[in-house]
Amino acid sequence: MIKVYIGDRYVYDVRNYAALARGAGTMNGLGLRAPVTAVLAALALTAAACGSSGSGGSGSSGGTISIGVPVPLSGDYASAGTDILHGAQLAAKKINAAGGVDGKKIKIVSQDDACQAQTAAQATAKLISQGIAIAAGGYCSTAALPELSAFHRAGIPFVMDASTNPQLTQQGFPEAFRTIGRDDEQGPIVASFITKFLKDKRVAVGNDNSTYSKGLAQSTVSALKADGAQVVFNNALTPGQSDYTSFLTKIAQSKPQVFYYSGYYPEFGLMLKQAKQLGLHFTMMGGDANNDPTLIKTAGSAATGALVDTAPLAQFLTSAKGFVSAYQAAYHTGPGPYSSYEYDAVGVAAQAIKAAGSTSPSKIISALHGISSYSGITGSFHFDSHGDRKPVNYIVTIVRGGSFAAYKKLDPSTGQWVNVS
Amino acid sequence: MSAFLQYVVNGLTSGAFLALVALGYTMIYGIIRLINFAHGDVVMVGSFAGYTIVTTLVAQHWPVAVVVLVALVAGMAITGGLGMLIERVAYQPLLNSSRLAILISALGVSLALEEGVRIIFGAGFSSYPNILPAANFSLGGAHASYVQLVMFGLCLLLMLGLYLYVHRTATGTAMRALAMDRDAARLMGINVERTILLTFLLGSVLAGASGVMQGLYYSQINFIMGFLLGLRAFTAAVLGGIGNIPGAMVAGLLIGLIGSFSDGYVSSQWTDAIIFAVLIGVLVFKPTGLFGERVAERA
Repeated sequence: MIKVYIGDRYVYDVRNYAALARGAGTMNGLGLRAPVTAVLAALALTAAACGSSGSGGSGSSGGTISIGVPVPLSGDYASAGTDILHGAQLAAKKINAAGGVDGKKIKIVSQDDACQAQTAAQATAKLISQGIAIAAGGYCSTAALPELSAFHRAGIPFVMDASTNPQLTQQGFPEAFRTIGRDDEQGPIVASFITKFLKDKRVAVGNDNSTYSKGLAQSTVSALKADGAQVVFNNALTPGQSDYTSFLTKIAQSKPQVFYYSGYYPEFGLMLKQAKQLGLHFTMMGGDANNDPTLIKTAGSAATGALVDTAPLAQFLTSAKGFVSAYQAAYHTGPGPYSSYEYDAVGVAAQAIKAAGSTSPSKIISALHGISSYSGITGSFHFDSHGDRKPVNYIVTIVRGGSFAAYKKLDPSTGQWVNVS
Repeated sequence: MSAFLQYVVNGLTSGAFLALVALGYTMIYGIIRLINFAHGDVVMVGSFAGYTIVTTLVAQHWPVAVVVLVALVAGMAITGGLGMLIERVAYQPLLNSSRLAILISALGVSLALEEGVRIIFGAGFSSYPNILPAANFSLGGAHASYVQLVMFGLCLLLMLGLYLYVHRTATGTAMRALAMDRDAARLMGINVERTILLTFLLGSVLAGASGVMQGLYYSQINFIMGFLLGLRAFTAAVLGGIGNIPGAMVAGLLIGLIGSFSDGYVSSQWTDAIIFAVLIGVLVFKPTGLFGERVAERA
């Protein structure tokens, strides 16, 4: 191990760059030739600037266990990513307050994936070089796909909290786990709500061409067809614009009874507002990425009556009451839709490390599969052979009086939609 | 048929906001041959200035009409000041260096504005409170709101005002003289520095007006909204013949209509591809734009 100093100050140990330095010239301890030292210092500075702190490469050493959290911290979905990171930090705080895992403290190491495939690949590389034992996080499936492939190559388990694309756990990667349901489990539930509860037959479906949104739209469309509904419109929009009036006008031409949008809240909020302005009267329903208060702020009174299906929010779960108040106290805001799933992802990761009695990634993977029932704040669950959470549950919420209220849930025993009690 | 009419109404609305922005691109290009890539971000700053004012005043229960008026005027004043500041700090020292230097400077300003707003307001979306009345009317099967009508009228009024200012006043004549030949204009006794500064002021004021109006109308704003908006407005400026003021107005509305028809008759996911294909088409087949003659003269 080489330690890099700038002046007298210890900056970074460059275990990972040792091979590079060896190729670059002679070196023995700190007696490096000046240019090599400069190169190493530059590398170290880059790494430091990218968010790693003092003791890099210490996934299991030095009394801490690093858990990597790749989430969007910039760009359109930065607020959702920040919520998730807060969830991870709260979980680590709770675990550490109870003595950590086998006497070692959990340390959360986050990297910004900006919800983009390319940035995600870089973020993952940084996390791996920081020596994490396990990763828990992610928000957009678009970013989670390259992240998972990279973690797969490194053999590091990745517990996803919000990425619902079916492909993630269907590639046969033993490293893939998630604490949330899959889009193809959400689609049939949405279709059931539309055909059995709303009893609508003409359905328009829109997506935003992202991996997540497309996947959800596809599974919803095939489930709708299987349930005997007619899909009268099925197309994508360009996200990131302000004006969707013409997109909505086109949908109205197909005379739907309900419009289901599988994309994200910024576009759906604008569409709710603009549909009212256009005098459109069909029911508007959004997928689980629309569960965000910004939606209501943007659409104002036009949001009233809008439906959003979602994995139950922490606010709707009695098992998460303590988490909600701890989150409020720590960050002075609501916990957002996915922070509770991230809290459970970190929690189940810690339990697996404990059960494995080691921070060896392969041992953690088998420990994760070995958990028969983890009682998290989002309910009790285990992972199936693909790493998918079992069982999952979705509810439908409705916007009333400026906030999301729990509305209906599927009763698995009768197949009927009932009030969320 | 009613759908066609609706597409026209939708397209004209977004086109009017776009035209105000395109004017800034075209004026600044006309006078110092700079494609001001920071212009879209000036719109964004205008939106955020308006957002701050509107939320503050609404919290103090000011009447809606006053809030809107104050936000609009103050937003325009703030972006006007910002435009002049940008010119003084980032462009004026580079006026006589290569065009590439000033272009890079513009990109730098763009990033500085985006990141500055991100740090202050955060990376998420901010939403203007929905204070404008939602009342709408139907015309031949197409729906439009009264607010939409007023905003469209306001955009046209601002454009008309600018046109008259540039063509009927001494300062406007100085601007046009500068656009034709900077050195000759200086020899004629025109204060070149002051006129350039004034051009930035006017362009940025219009950008601010567009930013505040879009915020009020669409509600949702964020720190990167200026990027795509700027690219589309730039396309409009090129389509209208860059440097040509009436051209930018017409082409702004036209790009709005093209976007709307593309959303309606093709598919929303193709809209950006179509709009930027128009940009490429204009550059390849008619680089002077629909109305421009000056670019040819320059080249």
